[in-house]
Amino acid sequence: MSVTFECGDKNALVAYLYEECEPELRDVISGHLTRCDSCSSEIDGLGWTRQRLEVWAPPMPELGFQMPVPAQEVRLPWWRAPLPAWAQAAAALVIFGVGLSVGLARGPVAAPQQASSPRPTVTVPAAPVDTVSSTDLADLEQRLKSEISQMRTTAPVRQVASSTASSDEEIMKKVEALLTQSEERQRREFTLRSVEMARDFEAQRRVDMASVRETVGQFQGVTGTEIRQQREAIDRLNSYIIRVGQQGR
Amino acid sequence: MTRTDEELVALSRTGDVDSFNQLIVRWERPIYALAYRVLGREEDARDVCQDTFLRAYRALPGFKGQAKFSSWLYRIALNLCRDWIRRQQRAPVSQMPEDIDPAELLAETEPTESIEDLVARRELSAIVAEAMKSLSDEQRTAIILKEYHGMTFQEIADMQGCPLSTVKTRLYQGLSQLRRQLERRGHGIPELVKRT
Repeated sequence: MSVTFECGDKNALVAYLYEECEPELRDVISGHLTRCDSCSSEIDGLGWTRQRLEVWAPPMPELGFQMPVPAQEVRLPWWRAPLPAWAQAAAALVIFGVGLSVGLARGPVAAPQQASSPRPTVTVPAAPVDTVSSTDLADLEQRLKSEISQMRTTAPVRQVASSTASSDEEIMKKVEALLTQSEERQRREFTLRSVEMARDFEAQRRVDMASVRETVGQFQGVTGTEIRQQREAIDRLNSYIIRVGQQGR
Repeated sequence: MTRTDEELVALSRTGDVDSFNQLIVRWERPIYALAYRVLGREEDARDVCQDTFLRAYRALPGFKGQAKFSSWLYRIALNLCRDWIRRQQRAPVSQMPEDIDPAELLAETEPTESIEDLVARRELSAIVAEAMKSLSDEQRTAIILKEYHGMTFQEIADMQGCPLSTVKTRLYQGLSQLRRQLERRGHGIPELVKRT
């Protein structure tokens, strides 16, 4: 298939100008330009315009735009990573719940077979009394007797209640001990992390200071060169002004 | 070893911010230049450039590599430029100083370039920037993508969402319009242009 070019075909001339046409078409246009003054002057004119476009240069400021690099996170293994507050609260609740259910699952302690078995005793610290009269002692005896008689009648129930209460107390003590341990561990980890962060911060500060010192050094070097270049250019400008002034006279 | 864009993109997608920062270092200047030429204001171009990379970073999980990373970035930047112009309700204006500041000239001077050449180059640059303002947004964008970012017709067509022939027409008409504008202003320093 032969390639044809129609005289004055602007699209083809532009493609020729920018060297983006098929080699066959390029040869055809080249041949045509040797014969056609109109197309030839058109191509020369467009080329002349392109040459002038070369001088249009934008001012190039220092751009230096950079995306901020996210700070390096200290990645702790999962077992060392601190739990969030809600997780800690949930863990405490779970521990408490488990302890409570274990306590309840044990069921009530069986009542003693004989009524004469040893009763749980409660020791009440005696309040300091300055003087004790015989009447006071008689009253105390009466009160103790009535209390003992009451205890005899309600002994099994109170014993069971006392047993459950002691079981709950034990669980509570365990939970408290676990919570105390957890708090202690958290406190220790927090201290360790604080120390690590302080160390990292100090290391980063040193690196930054070194970088600043280096940059200042480079800047001073560049400034010296620029001053020398500017002095030379001022000399050239002066000589140019003098020359132009002399020509003007 | 220098990693390719694709490798850096793959690493960035896994959360490696350093890799994305390497992509920024690689592409921030072209993106800034594109934004500057489209918007004409240094501060706006800087903002768009920054926004482009922020958006790209956020959209990275959705980038499946169908297109080149650079094309994807250019597309984001162009969309932002379009939004910017629409939002600000202002025509693109090139930030060219009325007077040439000697201090700026000194900073730009190439060792091989005389002050006279530099002044002439700055003047021509301002004239080209002014002439570019006379083009439509589509023509200007097509010329910028072609001339300064070396894109193919097909890439520009994809970027602008138009047929290939439309891109060629925009380029032809844009260049012709520019040529007329430059000729009308009577400026052109062939010796300097030839040297550059």
